[in-house]
Amino acid sequence: MNVVKTRKVLVVEDSRLIHKMYEVMLRPCILIAAHDGREGLERLGEHPDVDVIMLDINMPHMTGLEFLGQIRSNPAFARIPVIIVSTEGKEEDVARGLQAGAIAYLKKPFQREDLLKIIGRIDSKEAAL
Amino acid sequence: MPAPKDSKGLAESAVAVSPAPHYTRGIASDPLATLMRARQLIHDAQAAIEEASQSVVEQRAASVEIPERELRLAKVENEREELSVRLSEVEHQVGRLMTLYVATYQLHATLDPADVQATIAEIAVNMLGAERFALLLHDEEDKTLEIRLQEGEIAAPWSGKSHYQGGDPLIDACLLDGILRFGPVENSPVLVTVPLRVQDVTVGALVITKLFDHKGKLHEEDRELLDLLGAHAASALFASRVYARAARKLRTLEGLINLVRKG
Repeated sequence: MNVVKTRKVLVVEDSRLIHKMYEVMLRPCILIAAHDGREGLERLGEHPDVDVIMLDINMPHMTGLEFLGQIRSNPAFARIPVIIVSTEGKEEDVARGLQAGAIAYLKKPFQREDLLKIIGRIDSKEAAL
Repeated sequence: MPAPKDSKGLAESAVAVSPAPHYTRGIASDPLATLMRARQLIHDAQAAIEEASQSVVEQRAASVEIPERELRLAKVENEREELSVRLSEVEHQVGRLMTLYVATYQLHATLDPADVQATIAEIAVNMLGAERFALLLHDEEDKTLEIRLQEGEIAAPWSGKSHYQGGDPLIDACLLDGILRFGPVENSPVLVTVPLRVQDVTVGALVITKLFDHKGKLHEEDRELLDLLGAHAASALFASRVYARAARKLRTLEGLINLVRKG
């Protein structure tokens, strides 16, 4: 059974629809909303204790990959797990995202089960540490 | 009394005087106790035999129960697997309902026509996996079919234009009878055309011509989302346009009233 543990999630995503989907699907997580990479960095500065980041790729001002590069080079945020959720679904897109430091890549449109499975994997990794 | 002289008497005397062996001495000395002891031994032996036979009976019963228990265990295991499959189905259904809820919620969350259109596009991209699509809407003033939104290049004569003049068999049929239609058909690049209906009147259509490669094809469960779009997208658009028109009229009236007050 898929159970979401209470955690703090930073959502960096320009679609309001997807923000709402996370709100419904990731209940009872605490969601911190950002609508592009730049705002994502600001929110991360305010909430450095986030457990996981859900990241879109195509966003205005700062793309998801640029955002990922910035947080991976910052020791304070380098260990936060990042899940890329994007419509870019080619193999090279996935490889690029994972190479940039994401721990998982979820293609849109996604099912709730897929999302919870990935978050469950993070939970079990954390439990094993 | 003197001992008798015959052999029997000697023997009796010998018996009387010679030390008897240990076991015979006990028996001889206390036959009652010996009898009691023997009785006790027999009782103990009987108890042991009964216990052993009980144990044999139990073991026999247990050997009959083992297959029964194995059968029950297998049954419980089957039930557990069935429940697990059903749970996973229910979770999948919950996920689908959540998606439908979010789509409906978001369509009706605003009264700005541009926002409603953007939401329709977001649903097409993020929930249906549409890479190329167009939104056609009846223009109430000039009674034409306006292409309000187009995403990606569409291999059709109407692509990139401001109005749809007809010509695509799937779109034309959908606009005519308001029925959801799936392609491909001859002379049409359309994969699916979703009629947008308000109070049984078709006011437009969402036309999808290509899905993302990783999406592949539309699935059975996408049908629910397409039906939802057909019903809710149109009413959300209709409500937002009515509101926008009313707001515009209100602003005009306010402007006139201000002019009158100043004059």
